[in-house]
Amino acid sequence: MQTLPNSLPTQVSFKGTSEGLKLLVPVELAWDEVILQLQQRLNAGERLWQGGAPVILEVKDRLLDGPQLQAIDALLAAQQLRLVKVRTLRRQTAVTAAVNGLSVDQTDSTPPKDPSNPEPLYVHTTLRSGMRIAHPGPIVLVGDVNPGAEMVSDGDILVWGTLRGLAHAGANGNANALIFALRLQPTQLRIADRVARAPDTPLATPQPEVAYVSENTIHICYISEYTRRR
Amino acid sequence: MSGKVIVITSGKGGVGKTTTTANLGMALAARGKSVVLVDADFGLRNLDLLLGLENRVVYTVLEVLSGDCRMEQALVRDKRQTSLALLPAAQTRDKSAITPEQMKEITGRLSETFDYVLVDCPAGIEQGFRNAIAGAEQAIVVTTPEVSAVRDADRIIGLLESAGLKGPRLILNRYRPQMVEAKDMMSVEDVLEILAVKLLGLIPEDEQVIVTTNRGEPIVLAANPPPAGQAYLNIARRLEGEDVPILEFKVPNNGFMAKIRALFSGR
Ligand SMILES: Nc1ncnc2c1ncn2[C@@H]1O[C@H](COP(=O)(O)OP(=O)(O)OP(=O)(O)O)[C@@H](O)[C@H]1O
Ligand SMILES: [Mg+2]
Repeated sequence: MQTLPNSLPTQVSFKGTSEGLKLLVPVELAWDEVILQLQQRLNAGERLWQGGAPVILEVKDRLLDGPQLQAIDALLAAQQLRLVKVRTLRRQTAVTAAVNGLSVDQTDSTPPKDPSNPEPLYVHTTLRSGMRIAHPGPIVLVGDVNPGAEMVSDGDILVWGTLRGLAHAGANGNANALIFALRLQPTQLRIADRVARAPDTPLATPQPEVAYVSENTIHICYISEYTRRR
Repeated sequence: MSGKVIVITSGKGGVGKTTTTANLGMALAARGKSVVLVDADFGLRNLDLLLGLENRVVYTVLEVLSGDCRMEQALVRDKRQTSLALLPAAQTRDKSAITPEQMKEITGRLSETFDYVLVDCPAGIEQGFRNAIAGAEQAIVVTTPEVSAVRDADRIIGLLESAGLKGPRLILNRYRPQMVEAKDMMSVEDVLEILAVKLLGLIPEDEQVIVTTNRGEPIVLAANPPPAGQAYLNIARRLEGEDVPILEFKVPNNGFMAKIRALFSGR
């Protein structure tokens, strides 16, 4: 029997979208070929994009390491294009992107292998203003989430540091999702479709806290109390 | 971080990048280093003004790139410190007049002959910023203790790190101990807790900075520099690898550090 030719493009391609310029890098292309094609496309003089345009790199299942990500970024930067986000299905690539200071979107239309139990994303970084991490599974972040940064998960969010930015747990509607932080001083918390602001006066003695939904609103308490009550 | 091409950047505008570039350049030159200041703020150049060199600008970096003049011709030598030079930006052109590649080439060439290449970055995170950081080996981030400036500094630090400029250092400018004491301003500790970078210097708010700026005579040149000038001189020493303690000014009558600690334990 003959297999049908792959209908997906096996070319590095750009696509203009409302979020910015999408750079599609096919999984099956050899790395040297990726760089070559990207250079060609960038040098082709197609000026569909504006200087400083944000670029979203979409790599699906392809594994990218730090130097590869930096190489792509450098080529784009030379054309005044800014790599801002990486959309990937691979956890490792998501982590690489996050530690390189890029926003990460580990979501895709294709459902995960076990949709009821997606893998957690573990990252060790400071999430700074303007950065965003989105992941279908739980997110564990070792570091601080600064004001102006965002984390979005369909599951729980654990911040082993100070959460000052925005965290959205249970983003797909799961009101049982939780947000944990060693120090909880968020700009805003969201669980499922509920929204809460942090209290205006931070705790006198910061302690690890957890945010959860009860009776339709978001509550915050010490983790020690929460686990005792369960 | 090492390397002598240093970009001075901030994100938010008007926090003191150009003032810092001028004063650090002057201070390093006074220590016997050869220093070139590169104005990367195309269209809004004012480094020449702060240095009192405006009327001596003939060529800009653009003529160097186009081959209309040699690098030596474009460099404006300071009349007071002959080891200090300025490479002016083009006032009549905008940021797209130059590419990051060209900027890299320019700073690379300058680093062959100067001990320090300081690049004064424009505000913002767009192309002017991309240009200014292109050839940099180190970055200094300037901020004031205001929430919005710190937020932008945080953004910039993230962008610098993603561009491979790891470990940027911070200058906290226009610091007002009295206001910090009254809890009306973020303290050094508050700022460092968010930004999580190394502090390179702390500059107090001082109207002499504005006075000297308007005169085109950076504050470090004063015969007896006030605390703000002293702070810049100390930063220059730190850049040279000396270990100089950071806290340089106090609230009268009250130990400044003691106050900070009290603030902290009281939370
Ligand atoms: N420590 C200080 N005390 C008082 N005034 C200061 C201090 N530092 C800077 N200023 C004043 O703040 C103003 C802005 O400074 P400067 O031009 O250096 O900022 P900048 O970051 O280069 O601005 P831009 O983003 O527009 O390039 C100037 O009027 C300057 O004199
Ligand atoms: Mg300036």
